[in-house]
Order: sequence, then C-alpha cells, then structure tokens
Amino acid sequence: MPATDPIDSGEFSALVDELRAGAPAAPERLRQRVLELVPAPRRRWSRRRRLVLVVVPAAAALAVGAALVHGFVSSGSRPQAVAAKGHTVGTLGPRATTTTVEKRAVPLKPATATTSDAVPGALLSDRLVHADASLSVRVADRAALTRATTQATRIVTALGGYAASVQYETSHQGYGSASLALRVPVGRVHAAVARLGRLGTVLEQRISTQDLQQQLARQSNRIGTLRRTISAYEQALQNPSLSDSQRVILKVKLANARKALAQMRHARSGTVSSAATANVSLTLTTKQHAAVTPVPRGRFDRMLGSAAGFLGLEGMIVLYALVVLSPVLVLGGLGWALVRERRRRDEKRLLASA
Amino acid sequence: MKLVNAMPASLRAPGAPAAPPFADVVAEHLDAVYGYLVYLTGDRAAAEDLAAETFEKAFRTWRRFDPRRSAPRTWLCRIAHAAAVDWFRAEARRQRREETYVRDAAMLEESVFAEGLSPELERALRRLTPAEREVVALRVLLELDGPSAARVLGISRTACSTRLSRALKRLEEEMTHARD
Repeated sequence: MPATDPIDSGEFSALVDELRAGAPAAPERLRQRVLELVPAPRRRWSRRRRLVLVVVPAAAALAVGAALVHGFVSSGSRPQAVAAKGHTVGTLGPRATTTTVEKRAVPLKPATATTSDAVPGALLSDRLVHADASLSVRVADRAALTRATTQATRIVTALGGYAASVQYETSHQGYGSASLALRVPVGRVHAAVARLGRLGTVLEQRISTQDLQQQLARQSNRIGTLRRTISAYEQALQNPSLSDSQRVILKVKLANARKALAQMRHARSGTVSSAATANVSLTLTTKQHAAVTPVPRGRFDRMLGSAAGFLGLEGMIVLYALVVLSPVLVLGGLGWALVRERRRRDEKRLLASA
Repeated sequence: MKLVNAMPASLRAPGAPAAPPFADVVAEHLDAVYGYLVYLTGDRAAAEDLAAETFEKAFRTWRRFDPRRSAPRTWLCRIAHAAAVDWFRAEARRQRREETYVRDAAMLEESVFAEGLSPELERALRRLTPAEREVVALRVLLELDGPSAARVLGISRTACSTRLSRALKRLEEEMTHARD
C-alpha cells in the first residue's frame, strides 16, 4: 500500500467516518428478491464446458473410428493381390506401334517369378518390332548380388546377346546394387526376362515394344521409288538431243536421287538392326523396396498399420487447417483486443462524465 | 442460514480452499454491493435492480469463482461494475433519445445515498462524477484495500489512490462551499 494512500494517512478521517456511518443498507425486499434466486443445488454445466466435454471426445472418437474402419476395410485384401496388378497401355492392332507391359512389386519366390505370362507372345511374332525391357530384381545380400550379376551376363550370352555395360556398387552397410545394360535378340527377349527374373525377387518389370513394320514398309517403298527415278534419269541422259543445260540439270537430279537412295538404304538397315536386338536394363539391388512386404502380416497387424496411417493423415489435415486458420485467429484476437480496449475507454469516459 | 449451493468438492482443485455457500455470500455482501451501486449510479431504484442482477449473474457463475484469486466481495464488485457500466450506457442512450434528465431532477428532491448523511455531504456526493463516487464507495464504504479496488476498477493501484484522493478532496471542497 503506498504511503500516500488517503485512507491510511487519516487526512480525511472525519469525512470517511461520516460516510461509513451513513452507508446505505439494502432494503429487505431486495434481500428477499436475491435469496429467491438461490434454488436447490444442482449440477449445472456451462455451455462452453458442455461443448468441450461433448464435442471434443466425439470428434476424437470419430477420428479414431474412421481410422479403424479404414484400416479394417484396407486390410481385407491380400497384399499380393494388390501389388501384383499389371496393366497394359495400348493394344497391338494393325496401326498400333507401341505396347508397354508393366508389372510392379511382385513379392513372389524367386522360383515362381516367371514373367512369360506378362507379355503376350503374339507381340513379337511375324512382325518387325523393337523391344525395350527393364527389370528390377532384389537379391538377398552382397554375395547373392555378385552371383546374380555374373549369372545375368551368362544368361544373355547364352541367348545370343551380350552385356553392353555393367555398373556394380556396394556400401559398407551391406547394401549393394548393379545396373546392367543388356542386348538380346528380340525373339528371345521373353526368355531373357523370364530367366533374369529368376535371379531374385522381381520388384518391377516393364517391357515395351515398338512396331517397326510400317516404318520398314515406308522405307522400302521410298527405295523403290528412288530406284525408278534414277533409272528414268539415266535413260533420259542417253538422249542425244538434250541441250547442255538440260543435261547438267538431269545429272544434278540423278546425283541427288542416288544420294537419297543411299541414305534410305542406310535408314532401312538401321531399322532392321534395331529390330534385331532388344535393350534389357537390369537393376539388381539388395535394398528393401518400399512396396514389397517381405513377411506377410496378419490382418490385425495390417488393420493397425492402416489405421495408424489414416490417423497420421487426419493429423496432417488438422495441422494444415491450423496453419491455414492461424492468420484468421491472430486477426480475430487482435480485433477482440481492439474492441475490448475501445469499450474500456468508452467506460472510462462514461463514468467520468455521467 | 442453511448451507446451500456450496461448491461440490469434486469440482474443486486439490488443495483449493472451499468457496462459501452462496446464501452466506448474499447475507454477508448484499449491503456492500447495494451501497456500492447506490454510490456509483446515484439512483436507489437502479441500484436495487442492478444488485439483483449482480447476484443473479454471480449465482450463475458461482461455480467458476476461485477464492484463491480474489475475495467474494471483490468478485461481486467486478460483476456489479460491469452491470452498472451497461446501465450507464443504456441511460446515456435513453437520455440522448428523450433529451430529458428526469433522474437528475429526482436526485435533487430526495435523499439518494443514505438517510443518515448530512445534506451538505449528500449534495457534495451528487456533484461527484460516477467514477469518483465509485472509488469512494469501494475504498470507504466497502473498505476494500487498494489492490482489490484497483482490480474492480481496472486501473493501477496508484491511479486508484490518486482518484480516491481527488474525490475526497473534491467532496470536502463541495461541503465547505455548501456550508459557506
């Protein structure tokens, strides 16, 4: 209490005594009126507390329930059935030029990891096609990686192909990977992919084929046309009645036609050679693949896993909503503080001037 | 007085002092709150209504009252203060609307603050502003200490002492002027 307090200083003691002696007393009717307000005790909850005690647990229960339902529904199907889905992009019709067959994350035993059923056999029959294949295979450890790399080279050699490049990497933690660029005859690409897939667990495989038949036909037609043109030019040059200028022009055209013919023959040779071998990209790795479930889990475990993931997603949504709403909340708080300050000033002015 | 509406033990924090029964609070503090409102408003009828409103509001929020944070009298005065400010606002609107000052005329005719006050003191009190009468009521009539009164008024302790000192000085001057 400050020393200058007017009550404690006794400066106004007479006035204070007079004021206290004449303090107004509440009339009896007011006392009765107020006491009538006091009913029997009962448990009353404020609206805010009711809201907190009801809405918050309800929201939490709803979130957990949704996660459990999601987990239950998600765990109903076997992981192999989900992971082994393959799809074909495009169809092989008379005008189709590209076909891609894809197969991902097949957690099968090495002995059963055959892929011959993934590629329709008709794709490569009776037509000139170019094929590209990529294969990702997981092996057990570094020793298996070394063996698989050597074995892959032997497989393609046995099929009449060769290894264009081999990159082999290992780390101190026991992880390792090898990337092989392989070339095999197009007609044996199925067999190559199937045998390479047996080196370990197939994580991903993709085979795409490009139909070169129409391209070859166009190039052959163009070559025939150029031959006939050259023959015509040669016959025309044998005519003795040609002027010198006409003869020069014909010779230039003949030279151009011969040059175009040579280029077209070269292009057709490239087309044919392109259709002769298939590019096979093989990746061998010892790392765990995220999409692969090495040990099949029980349904309860999968349900818990899915529910936990769903709860995490819900948490992320709530966090995102908070981040988005935080500026609004800050502005609301500032507005509330301003309104409160304004009310306080109004109150002060009101009581000072009334 | 029978004990009614004491705060249930299950709702109190462990170790927290028990709040007195509400009926006891009414019996103990009704006169003080009424006197405070009479001084603040300068209108006995309004003070009566506001006192009833104050205790009604206090009863509704009695469960949230924490004896550790303030005394019941301070808590009631804060509620009464808010109710009185609302009343002043309503009065100001009404006066602007009607442009009449019936209440002022009534104040001149009858004793407002208390029956036992001298006419000079009564007149001097009327001349004070509500803010000045309020601090006099809190510190003198209700005998609240400086920090409690400052909390009710929403100002600092120093400002509260200053306001009280000015109010009492002005009261004395008005009384001296009336005697002369």
